[in-house]
Parts: sequence; C-alpha cells; structure tokens
Amino acid sequence: MIRSDSLLGCMLLGALAGQFGGLIFGLAMLELGDLDSVASVLRIDDSFFVGVPLHVAIAAVVGAGFGALVWHQRSGAGDTLLWGLTYGALWWFVGPLTLRPLFEGGGLAWDVPSAQAAFAPLLGHLLYGAATGVGLLALRRQRIRWPARGELTRGVLAGLVAGCIVGAVLSSQARLHLFAAMSEEDATAITWLVLLSISGLSGMGFALLVPRPSDSAGAGLVRGSMYGFLLWALLNRTILPLIAGDGLPWSANDARGDFAALFAYLLFGGILGLGYQWLDALWRILFADDIGEDDEEGAGTRGLRAIGRGVIAGLVGGLLFTYVMVEIRGLEDVADLVRTDSATAGLAVHFLIAVTWGVTYGLLFRRQAHDRGSAIGWGVSYGFFVWVVGPNTLMPILLGSTPDWTADSAAGLTASLVGHLVYGAGLGITFHHFEAKYSPWWMPHGMAAAARATRRREQVLTSAPALWALVVVIGITLPVVLATAAATSSSGYGGGP
Amino acid sequence: MAVAKFGTFFAMLNASSSLRREIAAASVAGLVGGLIIAAAMQERGLTVEVTGLLGLSSSAGGLSLHMLLAALAGAAFGAIFRYQPHSYATTITSGVIFGLLVWIIGPLTLRPLLDGASPTWSTTEAAAAFPSLIGHLLYGGVTGLGFHLLVTLDRRVHPTRPAPAVETQPLKRIVILGGGFGGLGAAQRLEQLDMRQAGLKITLVSQSNYLLFTPMLAEVASSSLEAQHISAPVRAACRRTHFRQAAVDSIDATAKVVRVRTNDSTTVASLHYDHLVVALGAIPNFYGLPGLEEHSFTLKTLDDATRIRSRVLSALERAEIEPDPAERRRLLTFVVAGGGFAGTETVAELFDLARSVRRYYPHLERQDFRFLLVHGGDRILPELGAELGAYALEKLRRRGIEFLLGRRVAGATSDAVLLDDGSEVPTRTFVWTAGNQPNPLLKTLPCEQNRGGQVVVDGTLRVQGLDDVWAVGDCAQIPDPYNEGQFYPPTAQHALREGKVVAENIVAALRGESLKEFRFRTIGTLVALGHRTAVAEIYGVRFSGLVAWLMWRSIYLSKLPGMERKVRVTLDWALDLFFPRDIALTSSVSPPAESAGPKRLDDRSTREPATTSGEERMKT
Repeated sequence: MIRSDSLLGCMLLGALAGQFGGLIFGLAMLELGDLDSVASVLRIDDSFFVGVPLHVAIAAVVGAGFGALVWHQRSGAGDTLLWGLTYGALWWFVGPLTLRPLFEGGGLAWDVPSAQAAFAPLLGHLLYGAATGVGLLALRRQRIRWPARGELTRGVLAGLVAGCIVGAVLSSQARLHLFAAMSEEDATAITWLVLLSISGLSGMGFALLVPRPSDSAGAGLVRGSMYGFLLWALLNRTILPLIAGDGLPWSANDARGDFAALFAYLLFGGILGLGYQWLDALWRILFADDIGEDDEEGAGTRGLRAIGRGVIAGLVGGLLFTYVMVEIRGLEDVADLVRTDSATAGLAVHFLIAVTWGVTYGLLFRRQAHDRGSAIGWGVSYGFFVWVVGPNTLMPILLGSTPDWTADSAAGLTASLVGHLVYGAGLGITFHHFEAKYSPWWMPHGMAAAARATRRREQVLTSAPALWALVVVIGITLPVVLATAAATSSSGYGGGP
Repeated sequence: MAVAKFGTFFAMLNASSSLRREIAAASVAGLVGGLIIAAAMQERGLTVEVTGLLGLSSSAGGLSLHMLLAALAGAAFGAIFRYQPHSYATTITSGVIFGLLVWIIGPLTLRPLLDGASPTWSTTEAAAAFPSLIGHLLYGGVTGLGFHLLVTLDRRVHPTRPAPAVETQPLKRIVILGGGFGGLGAAQRLEQLDMRQAGLKITLVSQSNYLLFTPMLAEVASSSLEAQHISAPVRAACRRTHFRQAAVDSIDATAKVVRVRTNDSTTVASLHYDHLVVALGAIPNFYGLPGLEEHSFTLKTLDDATRIRSRVLSALERAEIEPDPAERRRLLTFVVAGGGFAGTETVAELFDLARSVRRYYPHLERQDFRFLLVHGGDRILPELGAELGAYALEKLRRRGIEFLLGRRVAGATSDAVLLDDGSEVPTRTFVWTAGNQPNPLLKTLPCEQNRGGQVVVDGTLRVQGLDDVWAVGDCAQIPDPYNEGQFYPPTAQHALREGKVVAENIVAALRGESLKEFRFRTIGTLVALGHRTAVAEIYGVRFSGLVAWLMWRSIYLSKLPGMERKVRVTLDWALDLFFPRDIALTSSVSPPAESAGPKRLDDRSTREPATTSGEERMKT
C-alpha cells in the first residue's frame, strides 16, 4: 500500500496514475497511427516494440512529476483534475517542443510551424494530464465529497442556461453544429437537442467536480471556462467525433476549421461556472440557514465598495490598454460603437468600457486576491475572458453584425488580446492594492476571523494558480498557433523540424 | 524629499530582510533560467534576441546582457510574487504567467520600440516572436521553481532567520481617549500603519460608541435627518481597534496608566499604555451664568439634537391648545445664543422646521412665531468675513429671524432669557452655542495649559512636559506654522488631519525616526442657512445662495464617514424634498411648561463629548 502523504509515495502514485493518462494518450496515438514514432526519441526507426515501452516509461516519469507537483495541493476532484490539465498543457512546451526534438538531434521546435505540427500532441497532453489527475485522485483514496441532488440540479440548470446562450450565438453564425461536432446537414432541432443534453450533462459534471465552491463568482467563471476548455479537448475534439465515426480531428488545421467550437466551449464553461456559483449563492440565501458569512458587511456596503474600487482599477487598466489602442489605431474602431469615427469619442468609449469591466471585476473578484501573485492571476484570467466576450462577441453584436468566431478574425485581434491581458494585470493589481490598503480581508482582527482568513488564504492550494497559468498559456498560444494556416499538418506524436 | 523616500525604502528593506533574501534568491534563479534558455536557443541556432538591441555585435556581449536581464526579471519576480512555504506548484505557474508578461513587455513591445519601430502586436509579429514566447514561458517556470527551491534551502540553512522573532516582541500599546474626529482619525491611520508592520495594540476609549458627524447635527434637530444616520459606529470604522465604551476616570502620566469606568458602573479598569493620544474634545462652557446649565439646550450630541427637536415640537403642540396669548407667545419664541456656525445654522434650521410643520397646527399664525439670535459681536459668522456675514444676516432677517447683535445673555430661567442690559425675553426654548471649554479632565494632567484650558502641544502634537502623551483636536492648542503666534482653530477638519499626523508620529517615535510637523491650510468654510441657501468661502472665493447650498450638501455628504451612511443621508434628503417633516414625538423630554429645564441624562462634569465643539464647523 503506497501512502500519498510522503513525497515519494505521491510520486509513485503519480507514476501509476500516469499509466492511465498514458493509456488514453496512447490509444489516441494508435487511432492516429502514430504511436510507433515515439521511438524516434531514441534515434531509431519507428517501431511498435520500442515505441510502446518507451511511451509507458515516459508516462510514468511525467506522471511522477505530477505527483510531486500536487503533493501539497488540495486533493479535491476539481482541483486535481484542473492541475492535471494545466500540467499537461505546460508539459507540451517541455516535451514535444523542447526535449523531444533535442533528443532526436534536431534543434528546438519553438517556431509556429513546429507548434502547428505538434498540435495533436497538445490535445494528447491535455487529455493525458486530465486523465492522470483523475487517476491520481482515485489512487489517493481521499474522501471525495459527492454532490447532493440539489447541487447536481443546479449544475444541470446552469449548464442548460449556458448552452442556450452559447447556442444562440453559434446559430447566429450558422455554426450550431460545431458544438457537438455534428454535420451541417443534421436537422436544427436535433442539433439543439444534442447541444442541450451535452450542456446539461456537462453542468452535472461541473457540479461533480466542484460541488460546494467556497470562492467568489469570478473564481467560478475562470474555473468554468477552463472546464469548458477541457470539454473542448475531451468532447468536441475526441469523444464526439469518435462517436460520429469521423476519426480524431486533432490536427491544427482541423482545430482551425472548427475554431468557433473553441470559443463556444470557453464561453459555455465561463457562463456555466458563473451561473453555478450564482445559483449556489441564491440557494444559500433562500433556503440555507446561512450563518457562515456573518462577518460580512451588508451586500450594499461591500458591493458599493467593490464598485468604487473597480472603477478606479478599471481606469488604471484602461490607461495601460490605451497605449496599445493608440499604437494600433483601435480608438476609431471603438468609436464606431457610438457611430462616429473621432479618436476622442473613441477614447471616451474605451474608458467607459474599461470602467464597466472594472466594475464587474470588482463585483466578481472581491476578496479573491490576497497577494500580488493572485491579483495578477485573476486579473489576467479575467482579461482573457473579456477578450473572448468583448471584441470577439459583444462588439460585433453591438455594431449590428454577428460575431465571427474564426481563427482569422481572432488573429486580427491579437493586439487586442495583448491589450486585454495587460489591462487585466493592471486591473487586478490596482484592485488588490485598494483592498490591501483599506480592507485586507486576509489580515485577521480576531480569533474567529483568523480561522476564516486562513481557510481563504489557502487558495494557493486549490486549483486557482493552475487556472491562471492555463488561461494565460492557451489564451496566447492557441490564437497564434491557429491563426496562420498550418503549412504541414502531420499528426505526429511530436514533429520536429 | 527624494532622499527621505529612499531612506524609508531602505529602512523597509532592512526591516524585512526576508524580502532581500528572496529577491537575491529570485535573481539567482532568474540567472539559471536565463542560462538554460540561452543554451537551448544556442542549440537551436537561434541567436539570443537581445543581441541586436544595443547594437552589440559580439555574441558574448549579447549573452551577458541577456543574463543581466534574466537576473533582473528574476529579482522582479521574487519581489512581486514572494515566497510561500509548500506552494511550489503555485510558484511555477506564477512564473509561467510572469514569463508571458515579460514576453509581452519585452520582445513584443520594447524591442520594436528600441529598433525605432512602433509595436503592432499583430499575429505576424507574435508568430515571429513565438520561439521567444516559449523561451519566456519556460524561463518563467524554471525561475519559479528555482526561486522556491533556493528560498526553501536558505530557510533550512538559516532556520532562525524568518519573521517569528518579530512576532514574539510585545505589542506596543497605544491608547486613544476620545472617539471624535481626532481620535478616530488617529485610530484609522494607526490601523493602516499597523498593517504594514505589525506590532501595535490600539485601544480606543469613548463614551459613545460612534463618531458623530457634527456638521449635520442642526439638521437632526430640525427633523430633516434621522438621528442615527449622522453617526458612524467606531467598531465599524476601526475594525482592528479594541474599542471600549467607557468614561475616563483619571490619567496617570508617570505610571502610564489610564483608569476608565464603564457607564453606570463603579468598577474602574486600568489601561496601561506606551503612547497615549488625548482627543477628549470640548464641552459647553456656561461661564457660570445663572440658570444656563439648567435651563438651556446645547447642541453637542445626538441626544441634544433630539431633545431640541422634541422640545420644539412639544412647544407647538402646547401652543396649539394654549388659551393664554402671553404663554402662547412664550411657547413660540425660540432663542439661540451665539452667532457662530452652530448658532446660525441652528436658528435657521429651527425656523425651517417650524415653517414646514406649521400647517398641522391650524391655530398657529405665522406672526405668532418668534426666532431670535443673540450674539455678542457686531456681525454674525465672524469667521467668514464681513460680506458673507452681512449676506447671511440679510437673508435670515428677511425670512423673519430677529438678531440682537452686541448683546449678551446674562442668565436664564425656566420661562425667559435674561440679557446683559437687564431686559428679558420670555421663551420656553433656549439653545446655548456661545461657549466651549476643553474637557475638565485635562486639568488633572501635570502639563502646561493655556487660559482656555487647552493642553499645550508642540508642532509635532506632543504634549509639552509629558512623555509619550500626545493631544489633538479641540482639547489641544496647536501652533500654526503658517501664522506665527497663531493656533489652529478647533474644527473637525483639522482634528481629522491632526489624528492622522499623530498616528504617523507615534509610529515614527516607536521606530526612532524623526517626527513630522502638523501643517494644514484651511481650504474653505461652509455654513448652511436652511431653505436651500448657504454661504461658503473656498480658496478665498465666496459663494452664496443655491450654489453654496449645493456645495454644502455635496461636500459634507462626501465627508460623511461610511458608504452606508452616505446612502441613508441622501435618502433622507431626497424624502425631505417630497414629503413633510416628521412631527412624531417619541422622546421622553418633559413638556415645556412643566419642566424646570432640559432634562439631561448624563453627568456633565465627567462627560466627554463625542465630537468637536459646536461653535465651529468642519471646514473643507
């Protein structure tokens, strides 16, 4: 019996769990007919008998690393799974793009064509990471808190709402079929039905992962959007096409063609996470004898305070973003929203938008950041979400057209993405600065408050840090990788140049 | 100034040697990260990107610049993200995020700028910089992990280094007497300073558990604001301060002990202090005039305001059914003594109250009412200058308020006010705002005091002749460095700022740093005259009428502590625009004709008011 409370034990369990992840990854490679190529790491020709043991060994080593990584982290279902997902994503940079080409004797595969060629391994690594997380969860045998029926119901409800919203946006672009990887010829009613059932089930899955979130709606939003990303890799890219019998659409070109699905799942997850958190709060207000939060001031006081701080933080973030806007002459585009093309009007609109998002950040992420690291993490994550919702979705709608969720249009907004990430960082840091100066909730002013503050401070042990990194990495990598048409779309284990 | 700032910065660095060590560890980790990336890129055949930046042709020069930047970025990482035990997973992911931000700032933004181009952040550019993106992400991850390992190692090697040694130091006890603007301002600032470097135990002693916003007191008396809405509970405003609702019994500056007594209790508790802030404020001064203490109202506390309101309303109730015209006239005569801010605002507000509720009393005629202000000087509002004073006088006179200028009150009985020329004004309601004195408790302090009884302090607010005792607000005589030989006026706005300075000076004294002199220029003065008029003087510019009234409301509203109270007062004002004032009588104040005078619930001699004196106003 291996115990997971020692580092070594946890690494061993991780190595075992890695086998589960490796199995999934390996099966996918088999499906793509590429498992043998792993032997090229040892600079020998593709061979099944070298490839498989090597694959198993790598899976074990990488899995042990995962065990070490999450040794100190919380062992809840959602936390472990999301850490696994992030670990897989990060390992893609280390493995297929760096170590493997080095072992093969080529140079680093750090350029865009190589990254495009290694797109299938990216998906493979994501699934590997998630599966390893699940495996470790099972092996650690920690008591898992199963959700109650009410929580599952709320999950389904939030999922259905999110599905409806995302479905509406997709169908306005005539891309409804992409969500469930169906074909355009399928009847609309059936497509909707499938979409909604997937949404409901996904909502239930979310409730299963994070039954009783203790953090704010904003944290739920970020967690949800990364859950959506996992669903994209797992459902949209893998399971649903396999059910449809289309083979695995794992190449960069496939992902590029179905780009709208990526945004759809990110948005779906975000709304799901937000909605689940809100429903949970509503449930508590209406039905629970809620005495846990009795140290809070009234909703009015804290809300107004968060709004005020959000306004200032939004202005600061907007100021940073202004530099980008001026350089790329984006102010005139924003001015379109008020049907003029003067840069001054654009500046006013730009700041108005910055303040609005700042206020929502204040309301959603109040009391979430307790140090600058977490402030940057939440801020940047929110900045990415705003990029998906704002320029990619709401802006076209407000301008009277329909959103265009294609890789090309996202690529046209790369500068805006950079601006939004910087905006988010400025927003998060400034908001945190005010909280730290006037109401540092993590600094106890009494014994009872101290216990609560400690619990909240343990945020670093949850999956929150993993979420920030994952948002940042996929946020910047995927648009760049998927933007330019993939020159080669070999679906290799990890293509070196 | 800059030198001083720099000095503080280094003092901060010294104070937290852990930060210094973490920054050092992080820059080493950054070096390692940079080295790995440089090696990898060389392997790939990519030149290290910064080479071209400064026109360095040799790759050795480029490499050293690259390493320097890597170390600097690492140091920044350590300073921003700090070390947390066991959270290496978080440190790695934070490193990745940090790497991405550096990539955005460096290759994507600064590099084109240094090349003389403007950054476009376009997909093409991002794709071209993709290798360096991966490099930066990996650099961040490696730096994060290395940082965590190095600090962990350092803490293993030097286990005595970390902070707990500081925490075991006994807390410095700071006791603040008085919950007015000065005391509360000091407590809030001390809390803020304490957050940066722990080590203070702040105790605030006050008889009322709220801060009273005196500028709006007259509006409570005139029933346009709810009494509790202009108070800010001390416990809500100072969450980290130990609050004690008690009266101060005595101060022993030699033994450094304050003795306090909880209301209506005989047990005396001793509070030991390292530093004491005296902000006990002022109480009304009747100058020993006969009958004043028994037969006049003052306007210093919420209770005072409620009592005045009740007295006015019950006088109207009685007058409505009073058959005797003389008694009726007496009931409807309202006399205010003192032509300063408080007196003028009170008489204006009482006039407004009577005017707005008169319609409920069908037997009362307009001419039955008499409002009278007695003032010793030859013009009202002397603080405001002749012109505005004359404007206010004219405005109020035209409404029907009488002024007796150059006359003084000589005494009071239950049914009349006696003037210094021997005449008497028959009245049942007499409000006294014409004098204040510092809390009598100060007389027991063995230190220098001025003629008025204020404690003499130096420019840094230290009480002369006593160690570790400080005084602010109405009870202190504070020299004004801008006007030689002058002293700061006893206003709320000054007291608030004095409180902040005294807090900073106490912390500076505890750290052995130099003290700061209190300097503040009065920005302006505002007086409300009721009925949507006011007079104001801001930066020497004078305003009157509706504009000044709007300024009064918006400025004082913004100064009212706490968002919730702001909302409540705004709502009160809004309701007041649409609905008549409330005439419900709830207080137990005895009806005017029978009472011997205003009933006071508390003992004046040891009473310590929650606020600054009524004679002055908060200046903005």
